[in-house]
Amino acid sequence: MTTIVKLAQMETRMFFRDRLSVFWTFLFPVVMIWLFGSMFAGNEVSDTAFAQMFVPAWIGVNIVTTSFFTLGTVLASYRETGVLRRYQSTPLQPWKILAAHTFQGTVIFSISAILLMVFGMLMYDLTIPEYWGSTLIALLVSIIAFFPFALFLTSLAKNTQAAAAISSLFLNLMIFLSGATFPLDMMPQVLQYVAKILPLYYVIEMLRGTWSEAPITEYGLDVGILLGIGIISVFLASRFFRWSGK
Amino acid sequence: MEAVITVENLTKSFGATQAVRGVSFSVRKGEIFGIIGPNGAGKTTTLEMIEGILKPDDGTIDVLGLVPSKQLNALNRRIGVQFQSTSIQKKMKVKEALNLFSSFYKQETQVESLIELLGLEEKLNVVFEDLSGGWKQRVTLALATLHQPEILFLDEPSMGLDPHARREMWTLIRTLRELGSTIVLTTHYMEEAEKLCDRVAMIYSGEIRALGTPSHLLNEHIAHCITFQSDHLNKEDLLSFPGVLKIEQNDADFRIFSDDQQLTAYHVFQYCHDKSIQLFNFSFERGSLDDLFVHYLEEEQIG
Repeated sequence: MTTIVKLAQMETRMFFRDRLSVFWTFLFPVVMIWLFGSMFAGNEVSDTAFAQMFVPAWIGVNIVTTSFFTLGTVLASYRETGVLRRYQSTPLQPWKILAAHTFQGTVIFSISAILLMVFGMLMYDLTIPEYWGSTLIALLVSIIAFFPFALFLTSLAKNTQAAAAISSLFLNLMIFLSGATFPLDMMPQVLQYVAKILPLYYVIEMLRGTWSEAPITEYGLDVGILLGIGIISVFLASRFFRWSGK
Repeated sequence: MEAVITVENLTKSFGATQAVRGVSFSVRKGEIFGIIGPNGAGKTTTLEMIEGILKPDDGTIDVLGLVPSKQLNALNRRIGVQFQSTSIQKKMKVKEALNLFSSFYKQETQVESLIELLGLEEKLNVVFEDLSGGWKQRVTLALATLHQPEILFLDEPSMGLDPHARREMWTLIRTLRELGSTIVLTTHYMEEAEKLCDRVAMIYSGEIRALGTPSHLLNEHIAHCITFQSDHLNKEDLLSFPGVLKIEQNDADFRIFSDDQQLTAYHVFQYCHDKSIQLFNFSFERGSLDDLFVHYLEEEQIG
């Protein structure tokens, strides 16, 4: 246990030493909300209604960012540069490495979520989630779905660049097509169907819903789909996980 | 002497390529054992099978009484491995790395004495990516030896180091041996094998071609030559002299490989005396492992 905590702590420190990852994870979403806020908030919708739309959505986007970049791409680069191989010849058990990275990912994500929420509360009178217990469950379900999903997809990459490319592709697709930035009902019918293939769609629906409308029990379908993605991904990720590039 | 590693008939293929074919040898406690051979000869593959990272297709391996591919965790507590050109986290400071890797072992680790031995004191707060090649090697060597491993595996420990750093690395490796580790290393620098290793195994195309102490290998095999300079000799005339095995000529420089240096030298002198040909810089040379290396490589190409 101490090893996992130590490793997670060390990885968290590494994360903060990398200015780019700090920018994309913590500042980029805040800037985006601020940009959209200056377009919409106070004009067509009230500040609070705007924030209830956008803050949960970008918290959802940050689950994608964390799982694809903080976890997936970093592990791909560790695989390429031999960091994981070096662990392989120590008594450190493989599951502890994954546990440490998952733990670190959760910590980083939590910080970014709190940051977004506080920003929303200060700038746009965001309320705390109405069904906060449900929101926490929704977040947990989303993490269970996305972490292994991203680990599996990035482990298909031959090297770090390929992993980063896969990650960027998924992140951009999901940002624009799952309702995080543009309301889905503004989009053509076809794209609305496409949105429903993307897992982030369900995350955002759950987060927005539990924030202001109904408890998690009303979102059984979303929870089911995400848990399904999680189970399949855990299976695939452990089946295809490799410790070295060769 | 007690054997700490025994390998018998080891075989490994990757697809259609046979990387290792029927390799057998043993490593004795307390020695520095070198596996040498050209790039792609199967050195790393052999090493990784002994370390338990790769599973052999055939053959048996015994390391400290354990079967590596089956008892990897037990083995990892007792061995240390420095991989070929692997890295640690780029942004990790040296002291953080030492601290982190220490936490992987249950037993007492020797961080303090290693810092002193490797001179890492001044680099403790430097992040890994800012270190030069030589320092990176020192750090990864430290990480591999934290737990005072009984066997230390070093894959190309001096690759990419300048001659000075390489000599320092040799001194360190010898010190680690004196501190009680058996050392197994791979290299393609023949000088390294000659000066550092107690015994070497030469691997070519996945097979062991020669095994023994460096001086034994040099005595047993064609590796002795006489060298001189002369303007008026040609290779063809010299080839028929008694004892001559092979001649390398580079303008006026001659290297004659012979199984009887004295006899060959006698005939060269007599021939040149009769014909009044002048010889310069004549000397007997003990060949190097380099010559042996080239010899096997040529044999390979012909065969």
